[in-house]
Amino acid sequence: MGKWSRRAFIGAGVAAGGALVVGVAVRQGNPIDKLAPLLTNGENEQLLNAWVKVDADNIVTAVIPHVEMGQGVYTALAQMLADEMDADWNKVQILEAPADKQYVSDSIGRDFLFPDLEVPALFEPTVSGGILELAQAMGLQFTGGSYSVRATGQRAMRTAGAAAREMLVAAAASEWQVPASEITTANSMISHAKTGKSEPFAKFALAAAKQSLPAKPTLKSPEDYKIMGQPKARHDIPAKVDGSAVFGIDADVPGMKYAAVKAAPVVGATVESMDATTAKAMPGVLQILNMGDFVAVVADGYWQAQQALNSIDAQYSKTEGDSLDQDAIFARYASYLDEAGEDGGDMQTEAGDAAKSFADAATKVEAEYKVPFLAHATMEPMNCTAWVRGGKCDIWSGHQAPVNARQAAADAAGLAFEDVTYHNAYLGGGFGRRSTSDYITMATRIAKATGYPVKMIWSREEDTAQDHYRPSATSRFRGGLDKDGKAVSWNNIHTHLFDPADAPTVPYYNIASHKIRKVDVPMHLRFGPWRSVDHSQHGFFIESFVDEMAEAAGKDGYTFRRELLAGSPRHLKVLETAAKMSGWGSALPEKHGRGIAFVPSFGSIVAQVAEVDMSGPKPKVTKVFVAADPGFVINSDGFTAQMESAIVYGLTAALYGDITLKDGAVQQSNFHDYPMLRIDEMPEVEVELINGDHERLGGGGEPGLPPIAPAVTNAIFAATGTRIRELPLSKHSFA
Amino acid sequence: MTTVRNLACLSVFLLAACGADPVPGPVEQIIVREPGAAPAAAVATVDTSADAPASALLAEGKAAFANCSACHSLEKGAPNGAGPNLFGIVGAAAAAVPGFSYSEALKGSGITWTASELDSFIADPAAKVPGTTMVAGAIADPTKRQAVIAYIESTTAN
Amino acid sequence: MIKLNVNGQTKEVDADPETPILWVVRENLKMPGTKFGCGIAQCGACTVHLDGRPIRSCSTPLSAAEGKSVTTIEGIAGEDGTLHKVQQAWIEAQVPQCGYCQSGQIMSATALLEKNPQPTDAQIDAAMAGNLCRCGMYGRIRAAIKAAAGIEQPATAEA
Repeated sequence: MGKWSRRAFIGAGVAAGGALVVGVAVRQGNPIDKLAPLLTNGENEQLLNAWVKVDADNIVTAVIPHVEMGQGVYTALAQMLADEMDADWNKVQILEAPADKQYVSDSIGRDFLFPDLEVPALFEPTVSGGILELAQAMGLQFTGGSYSVRATGQRAMRTAGAAAREMLVAAAASEWQVPASEITTANSMISHAKTGKSEPFAKFALAAAKQSLPAKPTLKSPEDYKIMGQPKARHDIPAKVDGSAVFGIDADVPGMKYAAVKAAPVVGATVESMDATTAKAMPGVLQILNMGDFVAVVADGYWQAQQALNSIDAQYSKTEGDSLDQDAIFARYASYLDEAGEDGGDMQTEAGDAAKSFADAATKVEAEYKVPFLAHATMEPMNCTAWVRGGKCDIWSGHQAPVNARQAAADAAGLAFEDVTYHNAYLGGGFGRRSTSDYITMATRIAKATGYPVKMIWSREEDTAQDHYRPSATSRFRGGLDKDGKAVSWNNIHTHLFDPADAPTVPYYNIASHKIRKVDVPMHLRFGPWRSVDHSQHGFFIESFVDEMAEAAGKDGYTFRRELLAGSPRHLKVLETAAKMSGWGSALPEKHGRGIAFVPSFGSIVAQVAEVDMSGPKPKVTKVFVAADPGFVINSDGFTAQMESAIVYGLTAALYGDITLKDGAVQQSNFHDYPMLRIDEMPEVEVELINGDHERLGGGGEPGLPPIAPAVTNAIFAATGTRIRELPLSKHSFA
Repeated sequence: MTTVRNLACLSVFLLAACGADPVPGPVEQIIVREPGAAPAAAVATVDTSADAPASALLAEGKAAFANCSACHSLEKGAPNGAGPNLFGIVGAAAAAVPGFSYSEALKGSGITWTASELDSFIADPAAKVPGTTMVAGAIADPTKRQAVIAYIESTTAN
Repeated sequence: MIKLNVNGQTKEVDADPETPILWVVRENLKMPGTKFGCGIAQCGACTVHLDGRPIRSCSTPLSAAEGKSVTTIEGIAGEDGTLHKVQQAWIEAQVPQCGYCQSGQIMSATALLEKNPQPTDAQIDAAMAGNLCRCGMYGRIRAAIKAAAGIEQPATAEA
């Protein structure tokens, strides 16, 4: 029986055509002041954002409050709802929720989805902890943080499906005059075996809405799952193989014009002047705008706009960032770390007397690691189509937080939230980049200035230069081992903490004392979440240092970590599985090596072993073995694909990713100078999935990334004895 | 507990999105024409800069090279991009610009880039050198090709 | 006016002959299945066929297609709507993640199999290395190409 969070509650009603609608409400009751006004319109207002509808033709529609950016969320969430409801998977449709704060209030559906919906009084709320992240994610319709399945899916979609089912059963029991306990449901049908009755859900939809609402719907246990855990084919894939899937960049609005833009290359600089003489005479050009922080050319076609923009000579203001390059930035990190010394910086977590235990340690290990700025490089460059006229604004784009995007457009257009309609599309890659609304604001400003619908597309050069990067960071470690080679002291000070705050911590490892501190260093470049966020830096730092401690202890990386995880059977199982898959310990050809890395993140536990061939001039990753425990795998094919995906994203960064600055501006521009992993460098990836805790799910989108870089560098060490402490690998010569 | 931390994370996005200062309008707005209006008759722009091309052929070549410049630079010593730096290319042996990663095909072609060889290459690179990594930038119009080649040569002539 | 054949239909396009085919297809012909990723033939998202040969349409001008035949992702299925075997293999293997690169991947793959019905791994590498996938589905792309080619593959470990 699944745990039912007591803060969520259920509403139901009837929509036009006799359709039953059930919604799961999450009431905002937790006194977080800043969040409250953004989530609701009032103190007692409920948030309703997981909906299921049963139509007269017995089609079950799951309304998904998240965006699809390749992670398969539409399908996974629909699976969770459909299973609890005992719906026929072949008759399930999926709808993305609108970016509407009204959608998340108790008048939901009334205005948007279900115009004739009457929602009876909602019943009592119940209280519990742990629901707040759900409220945040759902209320904002934010897709990220590897949350969709583990929060929305686990707590809301399943509840909505289970509640709908119980109400349908209650309605049938009432009509058939039989006990509810004798009624069974399967494949969108309700049956009573004893009397041989069997009807589709739709027959009882109206009656179901009148039933009293279940306070605690019973959720299934894994042995009863029929759809969850199945590798169901994704609903969105067919459109993605025939060219019909619509991405933000594909928006088509009658009368639409196109804008190409170039923002000042150095953060904080403005466009002081522009010479648009050539541009004015170029074909297709309609308007040329200096918006202060960027120049835009609007033309009849994107290419015409870009050609004209390329001909403009812009002069930018001077800023204090003009002299910065990445050497200066790393020097700055070093001086902040030096200044923090033994006791400075901000304490993050501490146990025991780490300084003393280090001083007393039989073996001492010290190391410093560095990682660079990284761009997101989504395949679809940033773009947004906007139209501002007559006190209204329409936005077409792909964004990870549609409610935020809508608000950003409202602010840029000088309008109220209610005056903006946001049309979301598939995202050609999110990875955190599309949770920032800068490109929405930009397009809206252009649209407001011109008055007609404008599709703004960033060139790849602009996309690379104006990213919200994954920050660079330096991390320093001191570790102590006792005479038996056991880890007794862990001291770490680093320059970066954004999110999640637990990224630099290692609570799962048995180390008697630790002291983890951070120093805040001003960041020159704009930064934002990048797939796995702080785990991407700290995963590399931590798992590299653990390996160095292992080496100092005279143990291999697997054995050493086994001891560190001895008290956590669930963690240990994941580590052991990866090691076993890889044939850890067995012989490899000369100049080949295996490296292991273990990073729990976003609620999932992942261990990876990388096999590297160092016989050539540069590292060649031939195989990656992944063991992952996300609690329970809703869609095994989808989860496996996410592991493959995160590995490639992380491996590309480990091999090549390096955003460098010169004179304050990013030097990289396109894929020839910001290289990517291609099919000829793709390792074989083997994934084994473990269902370690079906009640507490972990995420799928990000956890596969943090272990790959350290697994590879640990493998390089095993093969060559060379320890890599600075990424990317392309900075190092292996000849 | 992840709650508070993730709040902090999301509040970054919230606060960034809400209650913003009024967003500035254009500092300068040049309206060239309204949508639907016919474009003005093309006006020959007189290039009065110091390095103005001496003839119409070179002017055409310079304009056409704009397309090539996405991948190729022309100034002496400028770095290679997606394509090699073309300073001094006319008359040079193929696949010889230092630091550029040429295809085996071009390396083995034995071509010397006379104007005529360049001409047939730019017309259809994949046909002339199957396996070349220059998969873009073909120029179908022979006059335009002549102009581009002349322009390239002119920038590297003494 | 420039006349060319697109997906079996004659089209007349009123555009600057220098306009890359990518933008003609997307904007003049309103066929947005072909995607923009980089503009300098480095990512392959814009791949279409020109007289059956794969080209990067972001860097090939309209003039190069005059009087010739262009095939886009919208045109590789059969006339009755039957998917190309490559498209079917893509669905079977659940290849796309975000899907943005997949039009280009499929166009490169179909051209490869047209020319070489039983490609080796090295030939797949050579034909497909120009197509980036930021979601990292290269393993599935390779497997789907082999499946479409009818090449047997070793069973993969399943969860």
